[in-house]
Amino acid sequence: MSFEELDHTADVLMRVRGATITEVFSDAGRAMFHVMYGSCEDRGVKRRFALEAEDLESLLIDYLSELLFITDVENIVFCSFDIDIEGTRLSAVARGEPFDPARHAAGALIKGISYFGLEIVKEEETYAVDIIFDI
Amino acid sequence: MLEGINKIGDLEWEVPIGYVADMRVPGRFFLSLALAETLEEGAVRQLANVATLPGIVKHSLAMPDIHWGYGFPIGGVAAFDMTEGVISPGGVGFDINCGVRLITTPLTEADLAGKKRDLIERFFNAVPTGVGAKSTLRVSNKELSDVMVNGARWAVERGFGIEEDLVRCEEEGAMPGADPGAVSAKARQRGLPQLGTLGAGNHFLEIQVVKEVVDPEAARAFGIAEGQICFMVHCGSRGLGHQVATDHLRILESALGKYRIRLPDRQLACAPVDSPEGRAYYGAMVCAANYAWANRQVIMHEARKVFSGMFGIDYDDMRLIYDVAHNVAKFERHDIDSASAEVCVHRKGATRAFGPGAPGIPREYAAIGQPVLIPGSMGTSSYLLRGTTTAMQKTWGSTCHGAGRVLSRSKAKKEVRGRELREQLAGEGILVRAPHDAVLAEEAPEVYKPSHEVVRVVHEAGLSGIVARLNPLGVIKG
Repeated sequence: MSFEELDHTADVLMRVRGATITEVFSDAGRAMFHVMYGSCEDRGVKRRFALEAEDLESLLIDYLSELLFITDVENIVFCSFDIDIEGTRLSAVARGEPFDPARHAAGALIKGISYFGLEIVKEEETYAVDIIFDI
Repeated sequence: MLEGINKIGDLEWEVPIGYVADMRVPGRFFLSLALAETLEEGAVRQLANVATLPGIVKHSLAMPDIHWGYGFPIGGVAAFDMTEGVISPGGVGFDINCGVRLITTPLTEADLAGKKRDLIERFFNAVPTGVGAKSTLRVSNKELSDVMVNGARWAVERGFGIEEDLVRCEEEGAMPGADPGAVSAKARQRGLPQLGTLGAGNHFLEIQVVKEVVDPEAARAFGIAEGQICFMVHCGSRGLGHQVATDHLRILESALGKYRIRLPDRQLACAPVDSPEGRAYYGAMVCAANYAWANRQVIMHEARKVFSGMFGIDYDDMRLIYDVAHNVAKFERHDIDSASAEVCVHRKGATRAFGPGAPGIPREYAAIGQPVLIPGSMGTSSYLLRGTTTAMQKTWGSTCHGAGRVLSRSKAKKEVRGRELREQLAGEGILVRAPHDAVLAEEAPEVYKPSHEVVRVVHEAGLSGIVARLNPLGVIKG
């Protein structure tokens, strides 16, 4: 549904909201790539992966860390994420385009995703999570 | 000052047991009243959280560049007992051995007249910089193991430097205890194409001039004089280090139940120093730290080549003063209650500042104490200091690492325009080159605490002594 950047002096703090847990995961991916590269288009590059963790918070960190790994090694900028979650098992299809220095060099390199304050909470009709990206 | 914190000295403050639940020792930090205005309650809470970790010795400490991070606060220092204590990636950070080195040249500012822009362009072309940058270096997987074990020595043996460089690095550019088997295939994959690259964020390669010498005796020992052109390299272990931190944070997090460790913050995930998980993290962290020393060695080599090509100076005449680590955990011997004992010291955004006669510092600096390098923010002064006996007694031989941010990156981007900042700095004689102007706004001088105030505090608190102040002339940013 949405993500917004909140104030954090050292790093980047993003609040992500979604009607469902899968939407939260999908928008957390979008938020991370927004920080790193700014704009992005789907130009047919696709990667698929599956993960399992002991709880949803660890799953979210593993999922974002996997995307960080792929973008760092393969130079792919992702913009959309199809997520399927069953319990604490996730499968993801990420779509995007090859890194282009002319369009993608204005962002910030993310070093890692912090556990600090990371908790997926239910707020009436939506789920929300605050994520600190170390940059 | 925030409520609940006690003043115990001119520049020294105590966070009493009970500030957060389960603290085992008090917290202590060093700050002037001027800097206290920017102190975040969240940073103090993180300092107090560290005090809850098993086996912490004496105090949870923070330097005057303390600010809100994750796990440990930035500027945090803590030592842990080798049997009762723990090791935590949250006390090191994702950028393992992010650090700084300072190199002198025989040039003066007059030699650079009319050539500065060309010099900056050549630097920018010689050192891959920014998001997505890849190295021109070709390293095999087998050779990467060698890098992770031998650090800067690997680079010197490959021709990227001279033998004398090694002794002038903390740990002589390679910590013992590397365990390449504890480094994942993913970390290797990220590390292979990035060796010799600067990275992004606050990392830089900067040309500086020695503006003022405050301590002539120490300056002589360090081989630096007023008016001299120097350059500074600030970067870390790149994707390899980030992946090592990510991998082992997960392993340690999953093992918390096994060791019955309860934490106020999952980012403080840790294991006993002498446990399979603790040993594996340490061995992998050492690999990343050594990779970072090799990385800075390669970047220094490229910069030296640019200088000798442009000015006809000898490669060997560009002397490395020292290389320090900002984010690392180490086994060190310290005096505790008049007995010497080995402890696991974590420094997260803090610099080792060993005093005169301390083990592990170059013999040529033994009488003075080790050189300490504090990079300024873009456009502000950097400082060369020396380690002290007071630091050995009060902070496990540690001092600050930089200025510390006061303004978030999102606010910085709203308040500062990259292009205007570049033009303003050029007006002050500081040329800036980056892959994109937007990255400059986030690192603008006004988003940091004034470096002179942070350095004044460590100087007056006796944690290190100012030797010289260096001003920037040109910088390439990641």
